[in-house]
Amino acid sequence: MTLSLILQALQAGITNGFIYALVGMGLAVIFRGSRVINVMHGEFSVVGAMTTVLVLTAAKYPYWFAIIAGLLTGPAIGALIELTLVRPMIRQQATEDQFVLLTIGLERAIAASVLFFIGRDGHLLPAFGGDHVFIVFDVVIREHSLWLIAIAIIVVIALREFFRRTTLGLALTAASIDADGAATTGINVARMRTLTFVLGGLLGAIAGILITPLIAVDYTTGLPITLKGIAAAVLGGFTNPLGAVVGGLTLGIIESLVIVGVSSGYKDVLTFSILIAIMIFMPHGILGRGGRGGG
Amino acid sequence: MLEIHSLVSGYGALTVLHDVSLSIGDREAVAIVGANGAGKTTLVRTICGLLRARSGRVLKNGVDISQTPTHDMADHRIAVVLENRRLFGELTVRENLLLAERRGRGARKVFDWADIYALFPMIEERLETPVNLLSGGQQQMVAIARALLLQPNLLIMDEPSTGLAPKVVKDILNVIKELRGRGMALLLVEQNVGIASAITDRAYVLALGRIEHEIQPGAWDTFLKDERLVKAYLGS
Ligand SMILES: Nc1ncnc2c1ncn2[C@@H]1O[C@H](COP(=O)(O)OP(=O)(O)OP(=O)(O)O)[C@@H](O)[C@H]1O
Ligand SMILES: [Mg+2]
Repeated sequence: MTLSLILQALQAGITNGFIYALVGMGLAVIFRGSRVINVMHGEFSVVGAMTTVLVLTAAKYPYWFAIIAGLLTGPAIGALIELTLVRPMIRQQATEDQFVLLTIGLERAIAASVLFFIGRDGHLLPAFGGDHVFIVFDVVIREHSLWLIAIAIIVVIALREFFRRTTLGLALTAASIDADGAATTGINVARMRTLTFVLGGLLGAIAGILITPLIAVDYTTGLPITLKGIAAAVLGGFTNPLGAVVGGLTLGIIESLVIVGVSSGYKDVLTFSILIAIMIFMPHGILGRGGRGGG
Repeated sequence: MLEIHSLVSGYGALTVLHDVSLSIGDREAVAIVGANGAGKTTLVRTICGLLRARSGRVLKNGVDISQTPTHDMADHRIAVVLENRRLFGELTVRENLLLAERRGRGARKVFDWADIYALFPMIEERLETPVNLLSGGQQQMVAIARALLLQPNLLIMDEPSTGLAPKVVKDILNVIKELRGRGMALLLVEQNVGIASAITDRAYVLALGRIEHEIQPGAWDTFLKDERLVKAYLGS
Protein backbone atom coordinates (compact mmCIF):
# COMPACT_ATOMS: atom_id res chain seq x y z
CA MET A 1 0.00 0.00 0.00
CA THR A 2 1.54 3.27 -1.07
CA LEU A 3 1.09 6.70 0.37
CA SER A 4 -0.57 7.98 -2.77
CA LEU A 5 -3.03 5.11 -2.63
CA ILE A 6 -3.96 6.10 0.91
CA LEU A 7 -4.25 9.75 -0.09
CA GLN A 8 -6.39 8.75 -3.04
CA ALA A 9 -8.66 6.81 -0.69
CA LEU A 10 -8.80 9.70 1.75
CA GLN A 11 -9.98 12.11 -0.90
CA ALA A 12 -12.70 9.69 -1.96
CA GLY A 13 -13.63 9.21 1.70
CA ILE A 14 -13.87 12.93 2.33
CA THR A 15 -16.00 13.43 -0.78
CA ASN A 16 -18.40 10.66 0.25
CA GLY A 17 -18.21 11.85 3.83
CA PHE A 18 -19.63 15.22 2.92
CA ILE A 19 -22.54 13.53 1.15
CA TYR A 20 -23.21 11.42 4.25
CA ALA A 21 -22.91 14.61 6.27
CA LEU A 22 -25.57 16.41 4.22
CA VAL A 23 -27.93 13.43 4.45
CA GLY A 24 -27.22 13.02 8.16
CA MET A 25 -27.80 16.71 8.82
CA GLY A 26 -31.18 16.52 7.11
CA LEU A 27 -32.11 13.47 9.18
CA ALA A 28 -30.97 15.19 12.36
CA VAL A 29 -32.88 18.39 11.54
CA ILE A 30 -36.08 16.39 11.05
CA PHE A 31 -35.49 14.17 14.07
CA ARG A 32 -34.78 17.11 16.32
CA GLY A 33 -37.81 19.02 15.10
CA SER A 34 -40.33 16.20 15.13
CA ARG A 35 -38.81 13.06 16.73
CA VAL A 36 -39.43 11.27 13.43
CA ILE A 37 -36.67 8.96 12.15
CA ASN A 38 -37.18 9.65 8.48
CA VAL A 39 -36.47 6.38 6.69
CA MET A 40 -37.54 7.88 3.34
CA HIS A 41 -34.83 10.53 3.58
CA GLY A 42 -32.71 9.02 0.79
CA GLU A 43 -35.69 9.38 -1.53
CA PHE A 44 -35.38 13.15 -1.22
CA SER A 45 -31.96 12.64 -2.83
CA VAL A 46 -33.22 10.24 -5.49
CA VAL A 47 -36.20 12.37 -6.49
CA GLY A 48 -34.09 15.53 -6.47
CA ALA A 49 -31.46 13.93 -8.70
CA MET A 50 -33.96 12.22 -11.03
CA THR A 51 -35.94 15.44 -11.47
CA THR A 52 -32.75 17.25 -12.39
CA VAL A 53 -31.91 14.49 -14.87
CA LEU A 54 -35.36 14.67 -16.47
CA VAL A 55 -35.54 18.46 -16.71
CA LEU A 56 -32.06 18.48 -18.19
CA THR A 57 -32.34 15.63 -20.69
CA ALA A 58 -36.03 15.26 -21.53
CA ALA A 59 -37.06 18.91 -21.34
CA LYS A 60 -33.63 20.20 -22.46
CA TYR A 61 -33.54 23.10 -20.02
CA PRO A 62 -30.18 24.55 -18.97
CA TYR A 63 -28.31 22.74 -16.17
CA TRP A 64 -28.73 25.51 -13.60
CA PHE A 65 -32.47 25.52 -14.20
CA ALA A 66 -32.66 21.74 -13.88
CA ILE A 67 -30.74 21.90 -10.62
CA ILE A 68 -33.13 24.45 -9.16
CA ALA A 69 -36.08 22.32 -10.22
CA GLY A 70 -34.47 19.26 -8.62
CA LEU A 71 -33.67 21.14 -5.42
CA LEU A 72 -37.26 22.32 -5.06
CA THR A 73 -38.64 18.77 -5.02
CA GLY A 74 -37.06 18.16 -1.60
CA PRO A 75 -38.83 20.97 0.27
CA ALA A 76 -42.05 20.31 -1.65
CA ILE A 77 -42.15 16.59 -0.78
CA GLY A 78 -41.07 17.35 2.79
CA ALA A 79 -43.86 19.87 3.29
CA LEU A 80 -46.40 17.55 1.68
CA ILE A 81 -45.46 14.65 3.95
CA GLU A 82 -45.57 16.77 7.06
CA LEU A 83 -48.86 18.50 6.28
CA THR A 84 -50.83 15.52 4.95
CA LEU A 85 -49.42 12.62 6.99
CA VAL A 86 -47.30 13.59 9.98
CA ARG A 87 -49.52 16.38 11.25
CA PRO A 88 -52.73 14.34 11.36
CA MET A 89 -50.82 11.48 12.99
CA ILE A 90 -49.49 13.81 15.67
CA ARG A 91 -53.03 14.97 16.29
CA GLN A 92 -53.95 11.30 16.83
CA GLN A 93 -51.00 11.06 19.23
CA ALA A 94 -49.16 8.48 17.13
CA THR A 95 -46.18 6.77 18.73
CA GLU A 96 -42.58 6.86 17.49
CA ASP A 97 -42.79 3.39 15.95
CA GLN A 98 -45.88 4.39 14.00
CA PHE A 99 -43.86 7.21 12.46
CA VAL A 100 -41.07 4.79 11.57
CA LEU A 101 -43.65 2.57 9.84
CA LEU A 102 -44.99 5.61 7.99
CA THR A 103 -41.58 6.59 6.66
CA ILE A 104 -40.69 2.99 5.74
CA GLY A 105 -43.93 2.85 3.75
CA LEU A 106 -43.13 6.15 2.06
CA GLU A 107 -39.63 4.93 1.28
CA ARG A 108 -40.97 1.84 -0.52
CA ALA A 109 -43.74 3.79 -2.24
CA ILE A 110 -41.42 6.46 -3.64
CA ALA A 111 -38.83 3.89 -4.75
CA ALA A 112 -41.60 1.98 -6.54
CA SER A 113 -42.82 5.17 -8.20
CA VAL A 114 -39.34 5.92 -9.46
CA LEU A 115 -39.15 2.40 -10.89
CA PHE A 116 -42.58 2.81 -12.50
CA PHE A 117 -42.06 6.24 -14.03
CA ILE A 118 -38.34 6.22 -14.80
CA GLY A 119 -37.44 2.55 -15.06
CA ARG A 120 -34.52 0.44 -13.93
CA ASP A 121 -31.75 2.43 -15.56
CA GLY A 122 -29.25 4.37 -13.54
CA HIS A 123 -28.76 8.02 -14.44
CA LEU A 124 -25.79 10.34 -14.17
CA LEU A 125 -25.65 14.12 -14.15
CA PRO A 126 -22.86 16.13 -15.76
CA ALA A 127 -19.99 16.81 -13.35
CA PHE A 128 -19.55 20.39 -12.18
CA GLY A 129 -16.43 21.58 -13.96
CA GLY A 130 -16.78 18.84 -16.59
CA ASP A 131 -14.28 15.99 -16.57
CA HIS A 132 -11.43 18.20 -15.48
CA VAL A 133 -9.10 16.61 -12.93
CA PHE A 134 -6.30 17.88 -10.73
CA ILE A 135 -3.30 15.73 -9.94
CA VAL A 136 -1.66 16.45 -6.60
CA PHE A 137 1.03 14.07 -5.22
CA ASP A 138 -0.10 11.41 -7.72
CA VAL A 139 -3.63 11.73 -6.39
CA VAL A 140 -6.29 12.24 -9.02
CA ILE A 141 -8.96 14.68 -7.84
CA ARG A 142 -11.96 15.35 -10.02
CA GLU A 143 -12.94 18.98 -10.14
CA HIS A 144 -16.46 17.92 -9.26
CA SER A 145 -15.23 16.59 -5.89
CA LEU A 146 -13.86 20.01 -5.05
CA TRP A 147 -17.15 21.66 -5.99
CA LEU A 148 -19.01 19.08 -3.95
CA ILE A 149 -16.84 19.67 -0.88
CA ALA A 150 -17.00 23.46 -1.24
CA ILE A 151 -20.79 23.47 -1.64
CA ALA A 152 -21.23 21.08 1.28
CA ILE A 153 -19.08 23.29 3.51
CA ILE A 154 -21.08 26.35 2.49
CA VAL A 155 -24.33 24.52 3.28
CA VAL A 156 -22.99 23.45 6.69
CA ILE A 157 -21.94 26.99 7.55
CA ALA A 158 -25.20 28.46 6.27
CA LEU A 159 -27.21 25.99 8.34
CA ARG A 160 -25.18 26.76 11.42
CA GLU A 161 -25.65 30.51 10.97
CA PHE A 162 -29.34 30.01 10.26
CA PHE A 163 -29.85 28.18 13.56
CA ARG A 164 -27.66 30.53 15.52
CA ARG A 165 -28.40 33.95 14.20
CA THR A 166 -31.83 34.14 12.67
CA THR A 167 -35.02 34.45 14.68
CA LEU A 168 -36.57 31.71 12.58
CA GLY A 169 -33.65 29.38 13.30
CA LEU A 170 -33.89 30.14 17.02
CA ALA A 171 -37.63 29.54 16.93
CA LEU A 172 -37.06 26.15 15.28
CA THR A 173 -34.59 25.23 18.01
CA ALA A 174 -36.91 26.56 20.71
CA ALA A 175 -39.87 24.55 19.41
CA SER A 176 -37.75 21.39 19.43
CA ILE A 177 -36.48 21.99 22.97
CA ASP A 178 -39.86 22.68 24.56
CA ALA A 179 -43.02 22.75 22.48
CA ASP A 180 -45.27 24.14 25.24
CA GLY A 181 -42.70 26.74 26.21
CA ALA A 182 -42.43 27.74 22.56
CA ALA A 183 -46.19 27.97 22.06
CA THR A 184 -46.53 30.24 25.07
CA THR A 185 -43.70 32.36 23.65
CA GLY A 186 -45.83 32.93 20.57
CA ILE A 187 -44.14 30.38 18.31
CA ASN A 188 -46.34 28.38 15.94
CA VAL A 189 -44.97 24.95 16.83
CA ALA A 190 -46.80 23.06 14.06
CA ARG A 191 -45.44 25.43 11.42
CA MET A 192 -41.92 24.95 12.81
CA ARG A 193 -42.34 21.21 12.36
CA THR A 194 -43.37 21.66 8.74
CA LEU A 195 -40.31 23.80 8.28
CA THR A 196 -38.02 21.09 9.61
CA PHE A 197 -39.32 18.77 6.88
CA VAL A 198 -38.81 21.51 4.28
CA LEU A 199 -35.25 22.02 5.45
CA GLY A 200 -34.57 18.28 5.69
CA GLY A 201 -35.95 17.76 2.19
CA LEU A 202 -33.75 20.50 0.80
CA LEU A 203 -30.63 18.99 2.40
CA GLY A 204 -31.56 15.58 0.98
CA ALA A 205 -32.04 16.98 -2.53
CA ILE A 206 -28.73 18.86 -2.38
CA ALA A 207 -26.96 15.63 -1.46
CA GLY A 208 -28.66 13.76 -4.31
CA ILE A 209 -27.74 16.31 -6.95
CA LEU A 210 -24.15 16.54 -5.72
CA ILE A 211 -23.57 12.77 -5.73
CA THR A 212 -25.20 11.92 -9.06
CA PRO A 213 -22.27 13.06 -11.23
CA LEU A 214 -20.14 10.52 -9.31
CA ILE A 215 -22.52 7.60 -8.81
CA ALA A 216 -25.40 6.64 -11.09
CA VAL A 217 -28.70 6.97 -9.28
CA ASP A 218 -31.55 4.53 -9.78
CA TYR A 219 -34.69 3.46 -7.92
CA THR A 220 -32.68 1.41 -5.39
CA THR A 221 -30.32 4.20 -4.33
CA GLY A 222 -32.54 5.80 -1.68
CA LEU A 223 -32.32 3.26 1.12
CA PRO A 224 -28.50 2.93 1.17
CA ILE A 225 -28.30 6.74 1.25
CA THR A 226 -30.66 6.81 4.23
CA LEU A 227 -28.62 4.14 6.04
CA LYS A 228 -25.36 6.02 5.59
CA GLY A 229 -27.09 9.22 6.67
CA ILE A 230 -28.52 7.57 9.78
CA ALA A 231 -25.05 6.26 10.62
CA ALA A 232 -23.60 9.76 10.21
CA ALA A 233 -26.36 11.30 12.29
CA VAL A 234 -26.12 8.69 15.06
CA LEU A 235 -22.34 9.13 15.20
CA GLY A 236 -22.98 12.84 15.63
CA GLY A 237 -25.46 12.33 18.45
CA PHE A 238 -28.56 12.51 16.22
CA THR A 239 -30.03 15.67 17.66
CA ASN A 240 -27.17 17.91 16.62
CA PRO A 241 -27.14 18.57 12.85
CA LEU A 242 -23.52 19.71 12.97
CA GLY A 243 -22.56 16.49 14.73
CA ALA A 244 -23.68 14.72 11.58
CA VAL A 245 -20.88 16.47 9.69
CA VAL A 246 -18.28 14.95 12.00
CA GLY A 247 -20.16 11.65 11.81
CA GLY A 248 -20.39 11.71 8.02
CA LEU A 249 -16.71 12.47 7.53
CA THR A 250 -15.71 9.78 10.04
CA LEU A 251 -17.87 7.30 8.20
CA GLY A 252 -16.60 8.26 4.75
CA ILE A 253 -12.96 8.09 5.77
CA ILE A 254 -13.26 4.78 7.65
CA GLU A 255 -15.06 3.31 4.66
CA SER A 256 -12.45 4.39 2.13
CA LEU A 257 -9.55 3.16 4.26
CA VAL A 258 -11.28 -0.20 4.67
CA ILE A 259 -11.53 -0.43 0.89
CA VAL A 260 -7.81 0.13 0.27
CA GLY A 261 -6.63 -1.66 3.41
CA VAL A 262 -8.82 -4.75 3.25
CA SER A 263 -11.17 -5.15 0.35
CA SER A 264 -14.20 -3.43 -1.02
CA GLY A 265 -16.20 -6.60 -0.39
CA TYR A 266 -15.78 -6.11 3.34
CA LYS A 267 -16.52 -2.41 3.15
CA ASP A 268 -19.93 -2.39 4.78
CA VAL A 269 -19.20 -5.20 7.25
CA LEU A 270 -16.11 -3.52 8.63
CA THR A 271 -17.45 0.01 8.44
CA PHE A 272 -20.62 -0.82 10.31
CA SER A 273 -18.72 -2.92 12.87
CA ILE A 274 -16.57 0.09 13.63
CA LEU A 275 -19.68 2.25 13.84
CA ILE A 276 -21.33 -0.14 16.28
CA ALA A 277 -18.19 -0.11 18.40
CA ILE A 278 -18.16 3.69 18.42
CA MET A 279 -21.81 3.75 19.43
CA ILE A 280 -21.23 1.32 22.28
CA PHE A 281 -18.31 3.28 23.68
CA MET A 282 -19.68 6.74 22.85
CA PRO A 283 -23.45 6.45 23.22
CA HIS A 284 -24.03 10.18 22.80
CA GLY A 285 -22.05 10.41 19.58
CA ILE A 286 -18.48 11.38 18.86
CA LEU A 287 -19.02 14.91 20.13
CA GLY A 288 -20.61 13.70 23.36
CA ARG A 289 -23.33 15.56 25.17
CA GLY A 290 -23.66 19.17 26.08
CA GLY A 291 -23.06 20.87 22.77
CA ARG A 292 -26.02 23.03 21.93
CA GLY A 293 -28.18 21.51 19.25
CA GLY A 294 -27.68 23.14 15.93
CA GLY A 295 -25.14 25.65 17.14
CA MET B 1 -60.52 41.54 31.34
CA LEU B 2 -60.98 37.74 31.55
CA GLU B 3 -64.22 35.83 31.93
CA ILE B 4 -64.49 32.07 32.12
CA HIS B 5 -67.91 30.48 31.75
CA SER B 6 -68.68 26.87 32.70
CA LEU B 7 -65.36 25.45 31.61
CA VAL B 8 -65.13 21.66 31.35
CA SER B 9 -61.75 20.14 30.54
CA GLY B 10 -59.61 17.07 31.08
CA TYR B 11 -57.39 14.40 29.55
CA GLY B 12 -58.82 11.55 27.50
CA ALA B 13 -61.53 9.85 29.51
CA LEU B 14 -60.64 11.82 32.63
CA THR B 15 -62.61 15.01 33.25
CA VAL B 16 -60.60 17.26 35.55
CA LEU B 17 -62.42 20.59 35.49
CA HIS B 18 -66.16 20.55 36.07
CA ASP B 19 -68.07 23.69 35.23
CA VAL B 20 -65.49 26.25 36.32
CA SER B 21 -66.53 29.89 36.08
CA LEU B 22 -64.53 32.89 37.21
CA SER B 23 -63.65 36.41 36.19
CA ILE B 24 -60.83 38.90 36.52
CA GLY B 25 -61.34 42.64 36.25
CA ASP B 26 -58.99 45.22 34.73
CA ARG B 27 -55.85 45.68 36.82
CA GLU B 28 -57.08 43.05 39.23
CA ALA B 29 -54.91 40.32 40.77
CA VAL B 30 -56.72 37.10 41.43
CA ALA B 31 -55.38 33.86 42.87
CA ILE B 32 -56.44 30.28 42.28
CA VAL B 33 -55.56 28.20 45.28
CA GLY B 34 -56.11 24.50 45.80
CA ALA B 35 -54.47 21.27 46.92
CA ASN B 36 -52.23 19.02 44.83
CA GLY B 37 -54.15 17.63 41.91
CA ALA B 38 -57.06 20.03 42.31
CA GLY B 39 -56.81 20.96 38.64
CA LYS B 40 -55.00 24.31 38.83
CA THR B 41 -52.52 23.53 36.09
CA THR B 42 -55.26 22.00 33.98
CA LEU B 43 -57.15 25.29 34.27
CA VAL B 44 -54.11 27.32 33.18
CA ARG B 45 -53.43 25.00 30.24
CA THR B 46 -57.04 25.17 29.14
CA ILE B 47 -57.17 28.97 29.33
CA CYS B 48 -54.07 29.34 27.17
CA GLY B 49 -55.16 26.74 24.64
CA LEU B 50 -52.60 24.02 25.30
CA LEU B 51 -55.58 21.90 26.27
CA ARG B 52 -58.89 22.20 24.41
CA ALA B 53 -61.95 22.78 26.58
CA ARG B 54 -64.71 20.17 26.26
CA SER B 55 -67.23 22.95 26.72
CA GLY B 56 -67.52 26.40 28.15
CA ARG B 57 -66.09 29.70 27.02
CA VAL B 58 -63.10 31.89 27.75
CA LEU B 59 -63.53 35.59 26.95
CA LYS B 60 -60.75 38.15 26.87
CA ASN B 61 -62.09 41.69 26.78
CA GLY B 62 -65.32 40.28 25.42
CA VAL B 63 -63.65 38.23 22.64
CA ASP B 64 -64.11 34.45 22.71
CA ILE B 65 -60.61 32.97 22.75
CA SER B 66 -61.52 29.36 23.50
CA GLN B 67 -60.48 28.32 19.96
CA THR B 68 -57.44 30.61 19.75
CA PRO B 69 -54.16 28.69 19.38
CA THR B 70 -51.67 29.15 22.19
CA HIS B 71 -49.16 30.98 20.00
CA ASP B 72 -51.74 33.68 19.24
CA MET B 73 -52.58 34.45 22.88
CA ALA B 74 -50.12 37.34 22.70
CA ASP B 75 -52.44 38.99 20.16
CA HIS B 76 -55.01 39.10 22.95
CA ARG B 77 -52.38 40.44 25.32
CA ILE B 78 -52.30 37.32 27.44
CA ALA B 79 -48.97 35.85 28.55
CA VAL B 80 -48.43 32.69 30.58
CA VAL B 81 -45.60 31.48 32.77
CA LEU B 82 -46.18 27.74 32.83
CA GLU B 83 -45.50 25.39 35.71
CA ASN B 84 -41.77 24.52 35.73
CA ARG B 85 -41.01 27.63 33.64
CA ARG B 86 -40.52 25.79 30.35
CA LEU B 87 -37.54 27.82 29.18
CA PHE B 88 -35.26 26.83 26.28
CA GLY B 89 -32.44 25.43 28.38
CA GLU B 90 -29.62 25.30 25.83
CA LEU B 91 -30.34 28.78 24.51
CA THR B 92 -28.92 31.84 26.20
CA VAL B 93 -30.93 34.28 28.29
CA ARG B 94 -30.79 36.76 25.42
CA GLU B 95 -32.06 34.21 22.91
CA ASN B 96 -34.91 33.13 25.18
CA LEU B 97 -36.01 36.73 25.57
CA LEU B 98 -35.40 37.70 21.95
CA LEU B 99 -37.96 35.19 20.71
CA ALA B 100 -40.63 36.77 22.88
CA GLU B 101 -39.50 40.29 22.09
CA ARG B 102 -39.78 39.66 18.35
CA ARG B 103 -43.25 38.22 18.80
CA GLY B 104 -44.33 41.13 20.99
CA ARG B 105 -43.21 43.65 18.39
CA GLY B 106 -46.04 45.44 16.72
CA ALA B 107 -48.15 45.15 19.84
CA ARG B 108 -48.54 48.23 21.98
CA LYS B 109 -45.21 48.38 23.72
CA VAL B 110 -45.31 48.27 27.49
CA PHE B 111 -42.01 46.56 28.30
CA ASP B 112 -38.75 47.10 26.45
CA TRP B 113 -35.31 45.70 27.26
CA ALA B 114 -34.58 48.60 29.61
CA ASP B 115 -37.71 47.82 31.63
CA ILE B 116 -36.65 44.20 31.84
CA TYR B 117 -33.18 45.13 33.08
CA ALA B 118 -34.72 47.49 35.64
CA LEU B 119 -37.05 44.79 36.94
CA PHE B 120 -34.41 42.04 36.88
CA PRO B 121 -30.87 43.50 37.11
CA MET B 122 -29.48 39.95 37.03
CA ILE B 123 -30.71 39.47 33.46
CA GLU B 124 -28.50 42.18 32.02
CA GLU B 125 -25.45 40.53 33.59
CA ARG B 126 -26.28 37.05 32.40
CA LEU B 127 -27.52 37.74 28.87
CA GLU B 128 -25.06 35.36 27.19
CA THR B 129 -25.44 32.54 29.73
CA PRO B 130 -27.31 29.40 28.68
CA VAL B 131 -30.48 29.33 30.73
CA ASN B 132 -29.86 25.86 32.14
CA LEU B 133 -26.77 27.16 33.94
CA LEU B 134 -28.86 29.62 35.97
CA SER B 135 -30.27 29.00 39.44
CA GLY B 136 -33.96 28.19 39.80
CA GLY B 137 -34.76 31.70 40.95
CA GLN B 138 -32.90 33.28 38.06
CA GLN B 139 -34.69 30.97 35.65
CA GLN B 140 -38.03 32.02 37.09
CA MET B 141 -37.08 35.64 36.49
CA VAL B 142 -36.17 34.89 32.87
CA ALA B 143 -39.48 33.10 32.47
CA ILE B 144 -41.39 36.13 33.77
CA ALA B 145 -39.32 38.46 31.61
CA ARG B 146 -40.01 36.33 28.56
CA ALA B 147 -43.73 36.57 29.24
CA LEU B 148 -43.57 40.34 29.75
CA LEU B 149 -41.85 40.92 26.40
CA LEU B 150 -44.99 39.55 24.74
CA GLN B 151 -46.51 42.84 25.99
CA PRO B 152 -49.46 41.37 27.90
CA ASN B 153 -51.99 43.18 30.02
CA LEU B 154 -52.92 39.89 31.70
CA LEU B 155 -50.18 37.71 33.14
CA ILE B 156 -50.99 34.14 34.15
CA MET B 157 -48.50 32.35 36.40
CA ASP B 158 -48.57 28.74 37.53
CA GLU B 159 -46.78 28.28 40.88
CA PRO B 160 -43.90 30.70 40.30
CA SER B 161 -42.60 30.15 43.83
CA THR B 162 -42.26 26.37 43.81
CA GLY B 163 -38.86 25.14 44.88
CA LEU B 164 -37.37 28.58 45.42
CA ALA B 165 -35.61 29.92 48.53
CA PRO B 166 -37.62 32.42 50.62
CA LYS B 167 -35.27 35.27 49.73
CA VAL B 168 -35.76 34.63 46.00
CA VAL B 169 -39.52 34.32 46.44
CA LYS B 170 -39.48 37.73 48.07
CA ASP B 171 -37.62 39.23 45.09
CA ILE B 172 -40.14 37.76 42.71
CA LEU B 173 -43.05 38.99 44.80
CA ASN B 174 -41.60 42.48 44.68
CA VAL B 175 -41.46 42.32 40.90
CA ILE B 176 -45.06 41.17 40.78
CA LYS B 177 -46.07 44.05 43.04
CA GLU B 178 -44.23 46.44 40.74
CA LEU B 179 -46.12 44.98 37.75
CA ARG B 180 -49.39 45.44 39.57
CA GLY B 181 -48.45 49.04 40.15
CA ARG B 182 -48.16 49.42 36.39
CA GLY B 183 -51.68 48.11 35.90
CA MET B 184 -50.99 44.50 34.97
CA ALA B 185 -53.88 42.13 35.63
CA LEU B 186 -52.77 38.90 37.22
CA LEU B 187 -54.01 35.35 37.51
CA LEU B 188 -51.78 33.59 40.00
CA VAL B 189 -52.00 29.87 40.65
CA GLU B 190 -50.53 29.03 44.04
CA GLN B 191 -50.57 26.25 46.55
CA ASN B 192 -48.92 28.51 49.07
CA VAL B 193 -51.73 30.67 50.40
CA GLY B 194 -49.29 32.86 52.29
CA ILE B 195 -47.76 33.97 49.00
CA ALA B 196 -51.10 34.22 47.23
CA SER B 197 -52.58 36.41 49.94
CA ALA B 198 -49.59 38.74 49.85
CA ILE B 199 -50.07 39.85 46.27
CA THR B 200 -53.66 39.21 45.21
CA ASP B 201 -56.92 41.00 45.97
CA ARG B 202 -59.11 37.96 46.07
CA ALA B 203 -59.08 34.27 45.22
CA TYR B 204 -60.98 31.23 44.08
CA VAL B 205 -60.51 27.96 45.88
CA LEU B 206 -60.37 25.02 43.49
CA ALA B 207 -61.06 21.54 44.88
CA LEU B 208 -61.43 18.41 42.76
CA GLY B 209 -61.91 20.53 39.67
CA ARG B 210 -64.68 22.75 41.03
CA ILE B 211 -64.66 26.26 42.43
CA GLU B 212 -65.70 25.46 45.98
CA HIS B 213 -65.17 28.80 47.62
CA GLU B 214 -64.43 32.45 46.86
CA ILE B 215 -62.24 34.66 48.98
CA GLN B 216 -63.56 38.18 48.57
CA PRO B 217 -61.41 41.33 48.65
CA GLY B 218 -60.28 41.93 52.22
CA ALA B 219 -61.28 38.43 53.29
CA TRP B 220 -57.87 36.74 52.97
CA ASP B 221 -57.19 37.11 56.71
CA THR B 222 -60.49 35.61 57.77
CA PHE B 223 -59.91 32.69 55.40
CA LEU B 224 -56.37 32.06 56.61
CA LYS B 225 -57.48 32.16 60.24
CA ASP B 226 -60.23 29.63 59.63
CA GLU B 227 -58.26 26.41 60.08
CA ARG B 228 -61.26 24.30 59.22
CA LEU B 229 -61.61 25.96 55.79
CA VAL B 230 -57.91 25.88 55.03
CA LYS B 231 -57.70 22.24 55.96
CA ALA B 232 -60.80 21.29 54.02
CA TYR B 233 -59.70 22.94 50.78
CA LEU B 234 -55.96 22.90 50.83
CA GLY B 235 -55.31 19.87 52.98
CA SER B 236 -52.64 21.60 55.03
N1 LIG C 1 -51.27 14.98 31.15
C1 LIG C 1 -52.17 14.41 31.98
N2 LIG C 1 -52.81 13.29 31.62
C2 LIG C 1 -53.73 12.71 32.44
N3 LIG C 1 -54.08 13.19 33.64
C3 LIG C 1 -53.47 14.31 34.06
C4 LIG C 1 -52.50 14.98 33.25
N4 LIG C 1 -52.07 16.08 33.93
C5 LIG C 1 -52.75 16.09 35.09
N5 LIG C 1 -53.59 15.04 35.18
C6 LIG C 1 -54.50 14.76 36.28
O1 LIG C 1 -55.40 15.84 36.41
C7 LIG C 1 -55.63 16.16 37.76
C8 LIG C 1 -55.33 17.62 37.99
O2 LIG C 1 -53.96 17.85 37.77
P1 LIG C 1 -53.34 19.29 37.76
O3 LIG C 1 -51.94 19.17 37.30
O4 LIG C 1 -54.22 20.20 37.02
O5 LIG C 1 -53.38 19.66 39.30
P2 LIG C 1 -52.70 20.87 40.07
O6 LIG C 1 -53.76 21.48 40.88
O7 LIG C 1 -51.97 21.75 39.14
O8 LIG C 1 -51.69 20.12 41.02
P3 LIG C 1 -50.24 20.57 41.55
O9 LIG C 1 -50.46 21.40 42.75
O10 LIG C 1 -49.58 19.27 41.87
O11 LIG C 1 -49.54 21.29 40.45
C9 LIG C 1 -54.78 15.22 38.57
O12 LIG C 1 -55.60 14.17 39.03
C10 LIG C 1 -53.75 14.69 37.59
O13 LIG C 1 -53.41 13.37 37.91
MG1 LIG D 1 -50.02 22.32 38.92
